Amino acid sequence: MSHNDEIDCSGMSCPLPVVKSKMKIDTMNPGEVLKIITTDPGSCKDIPAWANRVGHEMIEEAEENGKYYFLVKRGE
Amino acid sequence: MSESFSASEMYTWMEEGVPHLYLDVRNEADFSRFHVEGPQDIELLNIPYFDFLEKPEETVAKLDASRSVRVICAKEGSAQFIADMLEEFGFGDIQWLAKGIIAWGNVLVAKQVPTPDHYELWQFNRPGKGSCAYGLIHKGELMLFDISKNLEFYRNFARARNLSLVAVFETHLQADYISGGPSLASEFEVDYIAHEGDFSSSNVTYRAVVDGESIGFSKAGGPSVLCTHSPGHTPGSTTYVIDDKYMISGDTVFIVSVGRPDLGKKVVEWAKQLYATLKNRISVLPDELMVLPSHYTDWTKEANGDHLIINDFGTVKALNESIYALASEDEFVSWVEANMRPQPEEYNRIRRVNANIETVDLATAEELDLGKNQCAASQG
Ligand SMILES: [Fe+2]
Repeated sequence: MSHNDEIDCSGMSCPLPVVKSKMKIDTMNPGEVLKIITTDPGSCKDIPAWANRVGHEMIEEAEENGKYYFLVKRGE
Repeated sequence: MSESFSASEMYTWMEEGVPHLYLDVRNEADFSRFHVEGPQDIELLNIPYFDFLEKPEETVAKLDASRSVRVICAKEGSAQFIADMLEEFGFGDIQWLAKGIIAWGNVLVAKQVPTPDHYELWQFNRPGKGSCAYGLIHKGELMLFDISKNLEFYRNFARARNLSLVAVFETHLQADYISGGPSLASEFEVDYIAHEGDFSSSNVTYRAVVDGESIGFSKAGGPSVLCTHSPGHTPGSTTYVIDDKYMISGDTVFIVSVGRPDLGKKVVEWAKQLYATLKNRISVLPDELMVLPSHYTDWTKEANGDHLIINDFGTVKALNESIYALASEDEFVSWVEANMRPQPEEYNRIRRVNANIETVDLATAEELDLGKNQCAASQG
């Protein structure tokens, strides 16, 4: 699935991956997709929990070689 | 900038009933899996940190700025972040938990059990787990029972009192926490004493305990440890009776309930063993014995006024009359089956680690080790 923007939070620990992702997605339009990359194990639950709670849509989650990838579609 | 507090301080506040408002900012799933509980009820709120990011004013307005607020998260970063935010919003007394919920999960509280003067018995309570280890001291020698992986705590305990460790006992192969017993025993070159029923197929170096044997200290006049095989919770479960006065009951007898025999894959077989153990080996012990269990679930029912998890066996039997009164093996098995519930998925892996069949790195060990025990056969 394609995405409109991307943010790499590798090496950051809580709460920074969510803080940065929020700041980034706030600059995007509803319906656009943000790709988020993290390495903090805590983020693999926090990113989906954040997205669902604030009305974005979690489209895809994956883990590969110690990195976590998320596709989040901005809500209204 | 807000300041931190330690997990041990938090325990002390709870014991003393300091009226802080505890704010856990982890996500709801992690919060419901495991959260802080202590000897007295506390005011505890779960508001994920991303609520504060998304709608700061609205979320902060849920809290009373005149309260002292103690913020908790997984590691410490989010708690510190939210604590700083609350300070900016004018909250006057805000602190965050250093090293996060894992630090709470590892806190140990040492309390002395009243004994005759010539020896000491200590309970090492791990409130985050709902588990207890024990230390028995006579003339500079220390025996430990059911210790967790916080080895530094036990080294310091011994060092501060100038004690030499002489043996480490295990009541059974633990499923709910990672044991520190084998490591500490090999570090101090002392016996790790456990039953072959649980350890014969493990890769752990241990000294097999014999049913009915009595193990003592090297100097005369000390208390003896009478080892009683009490299978059921596990095939190798062993109860250690100290000085004919205390029963280190492992996961066989709890103050409330008994140890669940359904953690292996042989519920009926193990439940029958537990029935026979309770009837023939445990119920026959004197009512005056003080029960010192490996686990507890509910502080209000299982702790005494000094926050020790202890009660006399007569009272324990009365508290669990419906269990001890089950008249037949069949009734007991039915009761066990009616109370069965899933075991946490990590238990199998913890058992493998405790049997030294699998080794894990520290981060994995901490993750596996977090969470309240689910060892009792019945709840509530
Ligand atoms: Fe157990």
